[in-house]
This record gives sequence, structure tokens and C-alpha cells, in this order.
Amino acid sequence: MSDSTLSGGLGASTAADWFSLLKPRVMSLVVFTGAIGLIVAPTRINPVLSFTAILCIALAAGASGAINMWYDADIDAVMHRTASRPIPAGRITARDALGYGIVLSVISVLLMAMATNLLAAALLALSIFYYVFIYTMWLKRSTPQNIVIGGAAGAFPPVIGWAAATGQVSLLPVLLFAIVFFWTPSHFWSLALFASGDYERAGVPMLPVAKGPRHTRLNVMVYALVLLPIALSPYLFGLCGLVYGATALLLSLIYCYYCWRVLTDQQDQAGHSLTNNAPARAAFKFSILYLFILFGACAVDRFI
Amino acid sequence: MSDQMPRNEIRESNWTPQERAEFTRRRRGRNLLLLAALGGFSLLIYAIAIVKLHEYGQMW
Repeated sequence: MSDSTLSGGLGASTAADWFSLLKPRVMSLVVFTGAIGLIVAPTRINPVLSFTAILCIALAAGASGAINMWYDADIDAVMHRTASRPIPAGRITARDALGYGIVLSVISVLLMAMATNLLAAALLALSIFYYVFIYTMWLKRSTPQNIVIGGAAGAFPPVIGWAAATGQVSLLPVLLFAIVFFWTPSHFWSLALFASGDYERAGVPMLPVAKGPRHTRLNVMVYALVLLPIALSPYLFGLCGLVYGATALLLSLIYCYYCWRVLTDQQDQAGHSLTNNAPARAAFKFSILYLFILFGACAVDRFI
Repeated sequence: MSDQMPRNEIRESNWTPQERAEFTRRRRGRNLLLLAALGGFSLLIYAIAIVKLHEYGQMW
């Protein structure tokens, strides 16, 4: 059965389409970093409330994703990577996706306020606002620095998790925020290097499109180097122990090596890869593993 | 009742029986997801209320 047969309204969508509007892969990373923020906090809250806080972070991230898909439906339609998403494929209308995103946003913030505290709910609302209005509607289509500034939206979850448990924000969650913030550019630009054709077609000024791949490679390397001391900072400030410190140092050195390979990839005069961007693909994959292991080490360290 | 009185979107379309069956299958999937979400949400609100009233003596 082709989707076009049933297109033009609710008839075409499946439950999986509605789930995919929430960008589950992005959500998994957000949920993980949010859960780590909650776990490393010095205060313990009831497991039901902990579960609710993590659920709210997931719902808010998903809601932001749905609103993002509503706003970006035009560019998603011309990008190979996103053309099969429910809205450009015609299985869900843009208006339905917007309503879905707004309702989930409101539910997530209210539920967070009810289960934990107002600070966590306010931070959650701020993260939704930042992703939707600052990143999606303002920065994404207007500047090559879009994901540098917009990366803050994805860095909120550990702070929200911590605030949900303690009712306040202190230095460690701010450092965890900084780690995700400075990790985002090299992570995303590695992806953009091998997906730049898509962004160019859509007219999105990602760095490889606006400044070229050579400039992007240099920036990937620079941000990986900047990330190294920031990743080590929880250990240097005495907030995490040796397990975290050693893991952060080792992982960051490996990540710098991956980014170095991106910088020195075989390329033509303009910086276009002659290896089908194999180093950029490898760096992108490792960057995800990097964040999972680094935050995992932070949690493990708290229990040793 | 739904067997005797098909809903408007099915009766008024000119879909083939296969298309109609596919539509019904997708709608059932969406409805089950919505049912699960609403059921889970209700249980969660109930659990939060119990925990907060038990541990803090107040909801807010």
C-alpha cells in the first residue's frame, strides 16, 4: 500500500509516524544526559518523581522536535536525509504536527512542575523556547554559527535533571552543560561535512556550505581541542574523581585524533574529501560514543 | 455498531477494500497508542499524587 494512496490527512499516518515526529534518536541522547544530571545530584528523590522528570525531559525534547519538523517541512522536503519524514512525505499534516508539539510541550512543563519543582520546569520551558525560537526559527537559516549558539538547547538536560533533584543549579551541572555545548559543533559539523549537499540544496547556511569544507575541518579540530580542558574541568575542580578524569582525558585525546583525521583527510583544492568523507563519518560516530561514555563515567565516578 | 454503520471517511471514499483495510489497520494502531498514552498518563498522575502527598504532605 503506497502512502500516497492514503495521503492528505490522518488516514495516512501510523503510530510509528507520530513517534518519529519526536526525533527518537536525538531524544535518546537528551534523556541520557538528563538522567545523568539527576543521578550525579547529591539529593535523592523518589524513583517515581525521578522517572517523571526524565519522562518530561524526553517529552519536551520530542515536542521541540515535532515543532522543528513543522517549521522545517519545506527544507526537509528537499533534503535526502529528511525527505521521508512524516510531514514532507504527506503522512501527517504540518498543522497536526504543530498541535502535537505544542500540547506535548505544555504537558511536559506542567508535569515537571507538579512532580519536581518550578526551577526545573522553568529550565525545561526555556530549553523548548531556545530550540524552537532561537535555533529553529532564527539561527538555523540565518548564520553558519547556527549550531554553535543553538547547541545550548541540547545542553540543558543535565542542568534540568540536577535542578529536578536539588531545586537549584551549581557548578557541576554548569560544567556538564559546557561539555555538551562545546561538543556540539565538532559533532554536528562532522555530519555536515558529509551531508553538505543536502544543506546546500535546502539553502541552509551550514558551515561547509557557507565557508567551505576546508574551513569546517579546521573548526572541527579547534572545537575538539577546546573541548578537551572543558571535559576535564569536573575533575580539575574536584567535582569528579580519578575514574572520570582518566576517562575524560583518554576519550578527549582519541576524539582529537579522530578530528585530526578529519582535518588531514585527502582533499582537493577546495577541501572536498577524496575519501567519501570517511574520517568525518568516523568522527561523527565516535562523537556520540564519546558523550555517552564521558557522562557514564561521571555517573560511575559518583558511586565509587 | 461500527460494523453496521461505517464512519464517514470510509463510506464516502472510493477506496478499494485493501485500501480500506489498511486505513482501518492504521487507525487502530493510532487509537491503541493514544489509549496507552492516556492510560499511562493517568497512572502517572495518580502515582505522583500518592508520592507527593505521602512524602511531602502536599501536592505543590
